[in-house]
Amino acid sequence: MLYAVIWKELRDISRDYKTLAVIALLPLVMMPLMSMASIYVQKAQTGYAYVVDEDHGEGCVGSTCISSEEIAEIIKKTLLSHGFVILDHPGKEILDIKVVIPRGFSHNATSLNATAEIIIYQNVASSKAQEGIAAVNSVLNDLTRRLAEAKIRLLGKKAGIYVNPGSILDPLSLKPLYVNPEGQSVSYKEAFQVTLARILSFSLIFVTTPSIAYITDSIVGEKERKTFEALLATPLPRWSIILGKAVSTSLIGLVTGVSDAVGLILFFTIPSLTYGINMLSFLTPQLVGTHFLAVYLSVVASLAMILPIIIRSGSYRSAQTFSLIIIGGASTIFFMSLYADLSNLQAPLMYILYLIPYTHAVEMIRATVLNHYLNALLHVLYIMAIISALMWVSLELFSEEKIIYSRT
Amino acid sequence: MMEGEGILHETDSSLGGKGLRYAAILREVSKSFKNMKALRNLTLKVPQGKVFGLIGPNGAGKTTTLRILATLVRHDSGYVEVLGMELPKMRVEVRKRIAYLPEDAGLYGRLTGWENLLYYAMIYAGKRRAEEVAMKGAEISGLSEEDLNRKAHEYSKGMSRRVAIARALMLEADLTILDEPTSGLDVVSSYSIRETIKDYVKRTGKAVIFTSHNLLEVEEVCDEVALIHQGRILDSGSASSLKSNYRARNLEEVFIKALGLAEA
Repeated sequence: MLYAVIWKELRDISRDYKTLAVIALLPLVMMPLMSMASIYVQKAQTGYAYVVDEDHGEGCVGSTCISSEEIAEIIKKTLLSHGFVILDHPGKEILDIKVVIPRGFSHNATSLNATAEIIIYQNVASSKAQEGIAAVNSVLNDLTRRLAEAKIRLLGKKAGIYVNPGSILDPLSLKPLYVNPEGQSVSYKEAFQVTLARILSFSLIFVTTPSIAYITDSIVGEKERKTFEALLATPLPRWSIILGKAVSTSLIGLVTGVSDAVGLILFFTIPSLTYGINMLSFLTPQLVGTHFLAVYLSVVASLAMILPIIIRSGSYRSAQTFSLIIIGGASTIFFMSLYADLSNLQAPLMYILYLIPYTHAVEMIRATVLNHYLNALLHVLYIMAIISALMWVSLELFSEEKIIYSRT
Repeated sequence: MMEGEGILHETDSSLGGKGLRYAAILREVSKSFKNMKALRNLTLKVPQGKVFGLIGPNGAGKTTTLRILATLVRHDSGYVEVLGMELPKMRVEVRKRIAYLPEDAGLYGRLTGWENLLYYAMIYAGKRRAEEVAMKGAEISGLSEEDLNRKAHEYSKGMSRRVAIARALMLEADLTILDEPTSGLDVVSSYSIRETIKDYVKRTGKAVIFTSHNLLEVEEVCDEVALIHQGRILDSGSASSLKSNYRARNLEEVFIKALGLAEA
């Protein structure tokens, strides 16, 4: 009898071309879009900048000389490389930033008892202004370093002692080295894969929400189309109705799993093509495979989490609303995974999160990049146990009378 | 007397249900939903091998009665037996031997008419015998092969109903429960469905319980009729005996007079 339900559901699902296309295409569109957004959007934004040299001065510290005109030109070139249009005279355009080199700058910058400043006016409504400030800062940092070293060398010369400017400017420094949780050294590539795991975990958010449509339709939709009542009077065991729908809906998990894995490859192909860095080398077959499994299990977990609600929902609308609340709430796990290692959280919070199946999808990916395959397998088992428990709850809540008489 | 004791006298459990006089028996059955009493001590016997009509106005308790017989709703008190099996205790066994068509029952729109029949055939008869059973359904529906291979969402209301009824009748269940199978259909479709039901009972000798608002239709199709009002049975019998008892020209008049007597 389970065969009959699966047979019917698969036919029904596979003929809902539009929803299926949305589910399959969403990760394929979203993942490359995220990649492109992170690279291109800021660059594609046009910003307007105006650089004024009010100083027109020059100055030297020992043999290191500067001119305000030269500094203004460097700032202009740097802003140009960040997609800014440099205006000769401010016109009707709304400026994102205005850089002013005030009178006396060169003198103060090369003096031993004064400090010099460059003034930046930033448009608070402009996100591009932040990028401009960062660009100007990079020029000033370089100039500051050069002048500081020159001043130290000059003071040393005057004092008649040898001074290494580096030992005064950077008496302390930090040398980062990467180790795994076991304390063994790992390469930068391996360290980056952990960051990658966070991004992959976050991307699971795109696969859980669209599957709600199918799951809701398979129960509340049947009720609203008046096919469910007749089905409930058949000898089909209740478990086979629930399991049949769950197994068939997991087809959606397979479709999204494949789609998300391809989307993932595209996510890394775009920066590779743009920067010539082989980002794809960070993707291992184990990681792609685990990601696929995490996607599949996340979709089935979504089904299991909302099934008890859907079974008791009166209408399609209320089922969708409650499902979105549940999936939306649970999906905060994917956000959290961007900023925290879930397994390192304090005891009560960690145990609560471990009851949410998505936590184990995130942990599966993290364990795989750390080569903790046994741990990854354990999280697979956890998520499957939670799914089974939720299915059992759905079965317990299954009441023909409540289904028939709930308001539509 | 213990609950159900008299029922054994009326049935014959030694025949495994096959020699039953009644396909269904409801005795002193009550059912409430929150503050609304849907059935009040309702007593009813559905004979074997006949079309039994349950007639009454909206909210009289027809659908609740059918849903109790179809094992979907549990009664609060009283005794219910279907094919010699007590409900709700033996609901799983009962489901194997009944077929139920709810009011306005739909089809699976993305499946073809044939697939809709095949799905139910698989549930009742298993994968191996499914095609054979569905073929019967195709025949009962009277739809052409071309129409049966179209998706059900393309069907007219009449075509959908014919497939839905065929889906119930092809199973040749010991008791078929049809809740307003002709409601909202045109004259031709209604006629065709009535003929299908009459032929079915004649051919198989199985029981059918049928509800309708169209009393003329009930008079034409049903061998026996029960009048239901406010969750109680007002009277029952063959259409001709009821007309004779109430000195009425048709069932409509019977119903009005029975209602008048009940309210008096």
